Amino acid sequence: MTYNFAFLDEDTKRMLRRALLKAVAIPGYQVPFGSREMPLPYGWGTGGIQVTAALLGPDDVLKVIDQGADDTTNAVNIRRFFARVAGVATTEHTVDATIIQTRHRIPETSLREDQVLVFQVPEPEPLRTLEPREAETRTLHALADYGLMHVKLYEDIAQYGHIATSYDYPVLVDGRYLTSPSPIPKFDNPKLHQSPALMLFGAGREKRLYAIPPYTEVESLAFDDHPFEIQRWEHQCELCGSGESYLDEVIVDDRGTRMFVCSDTDFCGQRRPEARA
Amino acid sequence: MMLSAFANPVFDSQRNFRELLQAMARPAAPRELPVLPPSPAPIAPAAMAILLTLCDATTSVWLQQPQPTAVDHLRFHAGLKLAERPEDADFALITDPTSMPPLDAFARGDLRYPDRSASVIVQVAGFGASHGAGKFSGPGIRDVETLAIEGLPHGFWQQRAELASQLPLGVDLYFVAAHQVVGLPRTTRWLEG
Repeated sequence: MTYNFAFLDEDTKRMLRRALLKAVAIPGYQVPFGSREMPLPYGWGTGGIQVTAALLGPDDVLKVIDQGADDTTNAVNIRRFFARVAGVATTEHTVDATIIQTRHRIPETSLREDQVLVFQVPEPEPLRTLEPREAETRTLHALADYGLMHVKLYEDIAQYGHIATSYDYPVLVDGRYLTSPSPIPKFDNPKLHQSPALMLFGAGREKRLYAIPPYTEVESLAFDDHPFEIQRWEHQCELCGSGESYLDEVIVDDRGTRMFVCSDTDFCGQRRPEARA
Repeated sequence: MMLSAFANPVFDSQRNFRELLQAMARPAAPRELPVLPPSPAPIAPAAMAILLTLCDATTSVWLQQPQPTAVDHLRFHAGLKLAERPEDADFALITDPTSMPPLDAFARGDLRYPDRSASVIVQVAGFGASHGAGKFSGPGIRDVETLAIEGLPHGFWQQRAELASQLPLGVDLYFVAAHQVVGLPRTTRWLEG
C-alpha cells in the first residue's frame, strides 16, 4: 500500500501551512485548524504529527523524542510512521536532525537556525484549568487579561511559599500572548527565549497550533520578590556525570534503590565515551 | 495555450513552503524560493509560486490587476476563489505597488481571531542592503536587520507604522523580486528609513 507523501493529502497540508504561517506571524497566539483523524489516538502526538507532516520533505532528517528519550514507544512509533509514509531519513542525534518532534522536552544540545522543533501539545490553553469556557479564554487573550494566572501563581506562594508549578510553566511571548510551553519541565523554559531555531506547537485534539519564532522574547511569569527559577539537583547523572542536564530519578531494583540519569538519551550517550576516556 | 504549474506539485510546494516559513520566521532577510513555476503577466513567477503553494478552493484571493489570462491560470491550477474587494481577501496580490490600495483596505482580523487577516504578496523591483535601507526589529530578528525594498509607494512605511498601533491585528506581507522572497509579519517594527 502506498500513501500520499507524509500521509496527509495536499489540501490538508496547505491548510496546515497557511495556519502555521499565521501562527509565526502572531507569536504565541493559538490558530484554530482543521485537525484530521490520525492513525494513532489523541494524546499520542496527533497535533505534532500533523505539523511535522506539513513540514517534511524528502531531504529532511527527522528525530523524535519522548521526554528526552529516542527509544520510548511514542518516539519509536512516530519515527517509524514517517519513515514508512514519507521515506525520510531518521536519526537519534540532535545535531544531525533538520526537524525534531518532541513530547515534553527540549534537547540539551543547543539547536541551530536551520533546525525546526515541533512540540506535541495536549492542552494549548494555559488558562484552561482556571477558566473552562473557550469563549471566555478567547476574550481574556483578546484583552491580554492574564490576572487569573498571576493569582494562581500567587496562591502557590501563599500556600507553599514558592511557585509550585514545575512543568507547563506559563510564558508570555513577545510581551503579548500568555502561552503554554507544552508540558516541558520549567527547566527547559529558558531555552524558549531567543532560540535560534523556530519552534512550532501542535494540539490535535484541541485543534490549535501556535509558534514561537526564533529570537523572540519569552518570559516565564514570576514576581519581583519570587523570581523564576529552574529545578536543580544535588546529584549528577550516574551514567555520564553531567551536572547541568535535566535528570530523571529511576528505581533500579525491588528494594527501591534509586539512580539519577539524564532524561536526554542522545546527550547522555554522546557524553559517555568522553566520560570514560 | 495555458502555461503549466509546478512540474511536481507535492514536492515543489513543500520546498517553497519551507522557505516561506523561514521568511516569515526571520523577517526582512531575503530567502531564495527554490521552485518557480511559469506564470502569465502581470504575475511574477515568485508570486505565482506562493499562490500555488498556499491557495486552493478554500481561500479567496484579490488580484490588483485581474488580467483574464492570469485569472484563468489561477482558477485552473489552484481552483481558488477571487475576491471582488480587498477587505474580503485571505491573500492579495499587488502587481503594481505604486498604485496599490492603502494597507488598511485589507482584513486585519479581529481581537478574538487575529489570524483572520490578509496575507499580502507585493511584487517589488528588488532588495538591497545599502542605499535607502530601512532598519527592522522584532520577533525573528536577533538584533536589527537592514534591508531596502525598492519600488514601494511613497508613505508605505508610515501607513504600516500606523497599523502597528492595532497589534495583534494587522496584515502580513510577502515581498517578492526575481527568485527572492522577504517576509514581513505584523510584529516587525520599522525603525527608520
